[in-house]
Parts: sequence; C-alpha cells; structure tokens
Amino acid sequence: MTAPSGGDVTDTGAALDERRVRRLQTVGILCGLTAGAWLGAAETPTKLVTLGLSPVVISLAMVVGVFLARWSLPALIQGTSYIAADLRQAPHLIVWAVLAGCLWAVANTLTIFAVRDVGLSIAFPLWNSNSLLGIFWGILFFNELRGADWRRWLGVLGGALLMFVGATALAIASATQAPRADALRGVVAALSAGVLWGTMYIPYRKAYLTGMSPLSFITFFTVGELGMMTTLAVVYSGGFTPLWHQLSGARHVLFWLLLGGFVWVVGDLFQQYAVKYAGITRGIPLSNTNQLWGLGWAVLVFGELSGATSSVYTQVIGGSLIMALGAGVIAFSSVSRREHARWEEAAAREGQRYGVDPAYTRERGAGRDGTTTRHRRTWIDWLVVSGATATLVGFAAVAKAPQLAIRWQWAAVLAVVTLGALAGCGTALWRTTRFN
Amino acid sequence: MNSSPDRPRGWLSLVLHDAHFWIPVAVLIGGLLVLRWIS
Repeated sequence: MTAPSGGDVTDTGAALDERRVRRLQTVGILCGLTAGAWLGAAETPTKLVTLGLSPVVISLAMVVGVFLARWSLPALIQGTSYIAADLRQAPHLIVWAVLAGCLWAVANTLTIFAVRDVGLSIAFPLWNSNSLLGIFWGILFFNELRGADWRRWLGVLGGALLMFVGATALAIASATQAPRADALRGVVAALSAGVLWGTMYIPYRKAYLTGMSPLSFITFFTVGELGMMTTLAVVYSGGFTPLWHQLSGARHVLFWLLLGGFVWVVGDLFQQYAVKYAGITRGIPLSNTNQLWGLGWAVLVFGELSGATSSVYTQVIGGSLIMALGAGVIAFSSVSRREHARWEEAAAREGQRYGVDPAYTRERGAGRDGTTTRHRRTWIDWLVVSGATATLVGFAAVAKAPQLAIRWQWAAVLAVVTLGALAGCGTALWRTTRFN
Repeated sequence: MNSSPDRPRGWLSLVLHDAHFWIPVAVLIGGLLVLRWIS
C-alpha cells in the first residue's frame, strides 16, 4: 500500500514545532487508550484455562494467532517492501525485536499461570505494574521526563504511587480468593510477568527512537515470540508428541485462542504507537487501562467475583480504580517541547551508536515517512494475508463455543465500544502519521 | 537517506557491546527461572 502525501503528514521543516509535538502527543494518548480496550478484550480467552487446558498450550495457541496477525496486518497496511526498507536502515533492531518477543512469550505464559491461581481480576492489575518499571527505564535510558517541570514529575511519580497502592490493595484481596500456596504462586507469576513486560519497553523505545515503524518492528518481534513459546511448550509438555496430542485434543477451542492472540496484536500495535508518540512514561500507563477493560469483561461477561463478600468487591474495585486514576494522572502530564528535545537527543545518541542515518531517525520521530519511495503491495503481501485468513477460517470451521456461562448482552456492548475505539483511533493515526 | 549506511563495526557486535542489551537478557533468564518454579 502506498502512503499518499498531504495533510499534516507533510509538515515541512526538520525541527518539530510545538503544534506538531502536541498533535503527536494527542495521537499517542488516543493510541494508549485504544490499546487498553483491545488488550483487555484479548485476555478473555485465558478464561479457557478453567476448562483444563495446559497453560503452555493456551499460550502457544495465542502466540500462533499473534504470529498470524503480526505478519498479515503489516502486509495489509504497509506492505512487506516497506518493512524491508525499514530494516535496511536499522538492521540491528532485528536482534532487539526478537529479544522483546522472547520476553513477551515468557510473560504471557506467566500470566496464564497467574490467572489460573488467583483469577483474572486479581492477576490483571498485578502484572500491569509493568508500567512502573517502564517509567523507570524511560527516565534512566531514554531521557523521558528530563527537562520536564516539577508538575510533570509530580504527575508521573504521583500516578506511579497511586498505581502501587492500587496493586497492593488487589494483592491483599488475592489472599481471600485462593488457597495460600496458589495465591503466592499466582502473585509471583503476575508480578514476574510485569517485570518482563516492563523491561520489554527497552527494545520498544530503542526501536522507535531510532525511527523504525511499529509495523516493521512487530514482524521480527513475533519471530522471538513464536520461537520462545514453541520451545517452552515442547519442554513443559514433555516433547513434541505429547504437545501434538494436547493440541489435537483442544482443536475445538484453538480458534478462540488464536482469535484472542489476533485481538491482542491490534491492542499491542496501538500500544507500540503510544510508546512511539507519547513515550513509555505516558503511553504504557494509558495502555494499562486494559485492567479496567479486563475487569469489565471478567465481572460483566464471565460473572467473576459473583458470590464474593462485599469487602472483596470493595478491595478489587477500589484497587482497580486507584490504579486507573494513577494511570490517568501520568497520562495527562503532557510532554513539553523542552522534554521532547531531550527525547530527540536520546534518539540521536541511538542513531550514532548504531550508524543509522540521522535524517531517517529525525523524520520518523516526527511521524513522517521521509522518503519519496512508494512502496506497493506485492504478491507476497497477498500470500501472507491469504494464508493467515485461511488458517483462521480453517480453525473456525472446527471450533465449538466454549462451555462457559457468558452474558452475551454485556459481551455485545463491550465489543461495540472496542470496535468504535479502533475506528476512531485508527482514523486519527492515519491522518496524522499515515501509520509511520 | 542512505539505503546502507556505513557502520564502523558489525551491527551484531554493536548490540552485544550495548549495556542496555544485557538488562532484558538478564530479566528473560529470571523469568524462565520463575516459570520453572511455578510450573
């Protein structure tokens, strides 16, 4: 697909003006919120763990769905020739992308153990503590908040403190929801997933400061994901043959897991754009509003927490709201022009370290393509899209609805809102950056 | 823009000499150990 020129994308001038910085920030914030809705929706298939499937089988099936989406969506949106051109500019980012994918796969597997042991509504906010670590790495390595005034520091650090308080309230609630040994394992699994995901933002930020498009980054990210997840699944299943038997036995629900992975990628893609244009310190807390969406799906659609005492309800809902409030405070501590200049310094440092063309880094950081080359879709793109579609249709053909009590009215309401967010944010992102 | 910018060293070597690289590697190893413990 070619990116037509025009509109704000073609703003001229090497330096970013105040208006462009604000525009990119707004788009980054919208992307963070949309990411929250989609990432929250994508976690619902993990409920299938209650049907007795192995956590690694669930995680592997989700990663296969993720793999299909991470190749087909970029091929559909920009084309593989665009991705190849991007990688020629910064080939070292392949290593970073694969490493980030490995981190994601291990974290995702841990979350499934966490859901099994302490439940979705408890585990979700615990692993969302990843934003605290992400903020730390953003400040330490990428000049985020450097040059910011005291109100922005207060906003980000105060928000982080609120999120910690909310997470603590939820951890205490977990002790009343599961046997002690399971609660400990579940809490450790969820917090470890948070550390892995929080550290995963180092490769993300490296890539986006350098100038790489999120659509290019995720195609190699998913190689790490699938490789690591396949290895884990084989090891923890006792070999290829037992794994194959488990997958065969679960063929009637594999579609739902693949679909969960596909939905997750849509959320993750918006999260990557949020990191690119709003930074880790703002983008990640916003995308972590997925906690509220996850809670909404868990309580409204799956009836989780039904029968719990009012005290547990108070702790879980109160803790979630405090965490969301903290995320909101962080998000609205907007980036000043002065702080953005420090980001640009970090980007220049990365470019210099790896010998990347400064013009590429500068233009991509501004959300512009920076080249006159037109990238057209080829037969390879259509082959990738067709293959992914056929695979999903094939699994859908043998799928059966999971035997879970689902409140379909609430599922429809949440689905409509989630799709609306996709349409609105996708349009804003296209108008501002042409998905660069 | 350059299609193949000159780089003084191989990019893999540059990655391995980047201190930032070893932090995610260490966290990944830690995550695998936790997974082994809980599973």
